[in-house]
Amino acid sequence: MTASAFAPTPLVSFQHVSKRYPGVLAVDDVSLDLFAGEVHGLVGENGAGKSTLIKLLAGATPRDSGDILVRGRPAALHHVRDATRLGLAFIHQELNLVPYFDAAENIFLGHAYPRRAWGGIGWRTLRERAQQVLDQLGADLPLNLPVSRLAPGQQTLVSIARALAANADLLVMDEPTASLTNQEIDHLFAVIRTLQQRGVGVLYISHRLAEIFAITQRITVMRNGRIVTTQPTARATERDLVQWMTGRAVDALYPPRSPATTTPLLTVNRLSGAYCRDISFTLHAGEVLGVAGLIGAGRSELLRMLFGAAPVTDGEIVLHSAGAAQSIHPRSPAEAYRLGLALAPEERRTQGLVLTRPIYENTTLTFLRNFARGGWLVDRRREIDVTVTLGERLSLRSRSPQQPVGQLSGGNQQKVVFARALAGAVKVLLLDEPTRGVDIGAKQDIYRIIGDLTAQGVGVILVSSELPEVLGLAHRLLVLREGRQVAMLDASSVSEEDVLGYCFGLMNEAMERG
Amino acid sequence: MQADNSVSTTAGLRQGANRWLRVYGTFAGFVAMIVIFSLLRPGVFLSPNNLRNITEQVAILAIVATTMTVVMVVGDFDLSVGALASLSGVVVADMLIRGVGLWPGVVIALLIGAVAGLFNGLLVAYFGLSAFVATLATMTAFRGFSLFYTNGSTLFSGIPESFKIFGQSFTGPVPNSVLIMLAVLVVTWFVLEQTTLGRRLYAIGGNAQASYLAGLNVRALRLTAFIISGLGAALAGIVLTSRLFSAHPTAGEPLMLNSIAAVFLGMTMFREGEPHVLGTFVGVLLLGVMSNGLNILQVNSYLQLVLTGVIILLAVLLSGLARRE
Repeated sequence: MTASAFAPTPLVSFQHVSKRYPGVLAVDDVSLDLFAGEVHGLVGENGAGKSTLIKLLAGATPRDSGDILVRGRPAALHHVRDATRLGLAFIHQELNLVPYFDAAENIFLGHAYPRRAWGGIGWRTLRERAQQVLDQLGADLPLNLPVSRLAPGQQTLVSIARALAANADLLVMDEPTASLTNQEIDHLFAVIRTLQQRGVGVLYISHRLAEIFAITQRITVMRNGRIVTTQPTARATERDLVQWMTGRAVDALYPPRSPATTTPLLTVNRLSGAYCRDISFTLHAGEVLGVAGLIGAGRSELLRMLFGAAPVTDGEIVLHSAGAAQSIHPRSPAEAYRLGLALAPEERRTQGLVLTRPIYENTTLTFLRNFARGGWLVDRRREIDVTVTLGERLSLRSRSPQQPVGQLSGGNQQKVVFARALAGAVKVLLLDEPTRGVDIGAKQDIYRIIGDLTAQGVGVILVSSELPEVLGLAHRLLVLREGRQVAMLDASSVSEEDVLGYCFGLMNEAMERG
Repeated sequence: MQADNSVSTTAGLRQGANRWLRVYGTFAGFVAMIVIFSLLRPGVFLSPNNLRNITEQVAILAIVATTMTVVMVVGDFDLSVGALASLSGVVVADMLIRGVGLWPGVVIALLIGAVAGLFNGLLVAYFGLSAFVATLATMTAFRGFSLFYTNGSTLFSGIPESFKIFGQSFTGPVPNSVLIMLAVLVVTWFVLEQTTLGRRLYAIGGNAQASYLAGLNVRALRLTAFIISGLGAALAGIVLTSRLFSAHPTAGEPLMLNSIAAVFLGMTMFREGEPHVLGTFVGVLLLGVMSNGLNILQVNSYLQLVLTGVIILLAVLLSGLARRE
């Protein structure tokens, strides 16, 4: 019905498309039209079939039945080359750029190089052409640096420029903002709007619902391989989306905050390191202390310093236990764990887990000695028992404790990281982007776990780029900018806009007091 | 979710075949090789005499390959093992000729292995060199030591008869070298599969950064792996020198590539492609049986090298193809 508002022939039309993998119908009778000049949001939990749908369109995997029409004509999509030739371009979370090549080379990768009279490569011509493409995007970035040295947002722009250079008229963007700062996201959205005006269609996939509402005109929700609904964005609410995605009515996303105690747990005095300077705060038992700031503000660095994984140059960390205060200087994560600290690192797959090893081995890795006979002989029965118990407590979904962690979804992987911390006696939990790439159901589980832990007196320091999440969970909010502490705010009374104001340096605490 | 067998029968069959090939492919190749050799040379290949021959031939390689497995479990490798085996052999022979006594001589050779391993481990784990560069350099240096020590000649006169205990004597019907090999196999298997040390080594091999952030002392553990490898190489050098009853400054050289090849062959037998002691042992047997069988068939020894290379490539390629599904 809404189709009439757009061009009559869809750019891409899925017609009763199905794809079965052994044991699961990944895409089940999906029909979906994408139009020129439309940004179309695609949302769903992990495993809902979004990725498979994209793979079918990209020609990366064959469909079992149904048709995919491109500009009204049935398309033979047997290989990624076919999709490229038809003007489809794909921008993934992990960008397919050659890290050592500069932006110009990456933009024209796969095209013939311009030649000079004597046969050499016309680098200047190449750069000029690249600059023209980037100008169309309003993108300003250095052309003479390898892309590995560009900011994540700039890298995303390079891959969009490559799509433009290939004359793509449908861009499929899969979690394009996962590693971007808010500023970079704003710029990306401006670019998307420019493309849209030029008649390019965009299929936009994201777990971040706020972005879906900000940039799309229509939203399609998938669940268990089927399309639940396609709606004009203006007619849907965040609550509707969550309900469609999970198939159940949702209570409030964030559990009610249990009141924090006034018992100090961890006091940090003028702590300084390579990227942070003069950080001071006290974390109380049962408190969630949120840490906000732009990427590069020193948030992860602060956690790593507390955890003994980054050098502390000055200042003091005091751990309070049973009324006694003890100055601590963890020099390694091993020491931090012994003191009752635990960290869920920012990059789950590269820093958090040993993906090839089973769930139970990952769970017991840190406190392995406690689960071994005599402290050295492994006792698998006991490890598995502990893993099963913790798994139930955390609503971990897996085939068995012996399943390799790499086979789990992002949310379940994060739960294994939590299980590892809970396998010991954790007092202070340091969480770095605990819900990145995690679907909405698992997010709710993680929020519930954080709530349970604080109710038991654990102190949590939470770093997250999703402001609503920090504001929904934290009691107080520490704002960092360029490695310095700019504000300590009451999370229940501050607005998102104000926090951003502090992050960007538009506000400071003195102003508020005054 | 929904069970539907009709659609995926052929796919399921192919998947089943692939899984079988992945897990048992290398082992099946090994069995096939035995069948072919015994059909081609009935009565010779499977004779008790020849079987004992094979076990004795593989014993020394098995020792080195087993401890090499430990280093490869943490994701490193040790190119210096061959040169180190030679050095340990030269040292033990010289000590015996000088009359320091059997056991002191053996202990000194083993100590040299441990110190050499410690040095490799320090370079890799604490000074951050890549295992390739560090052990390539120490391999060259160890080889130089042996050649300098012996002035390039072979040591043989004056080695006491008692030294034959490691490589030439028997306990009951079993060669002592085979007993030593079995001891190394069992102990290493136990350490890797049943102790917290082994668990941690595998974790580091899977993801060193995550292991560090999970509170493991990654440096000390990598160092330990190199010490174990150094000890294994030194032990192999001792057995080799006893078996030959002479010490040549480059006698251990072929052990390096063969031991790495054996570990790789073994890795093809596991889904996650991790090294395991039992897989390594099958790899060693495969190499040993092939070399023995080709010798019996009187295949040109240069061609044997070509065949060995081809077999290794085939095993790794096939298991890689099967894993891709």
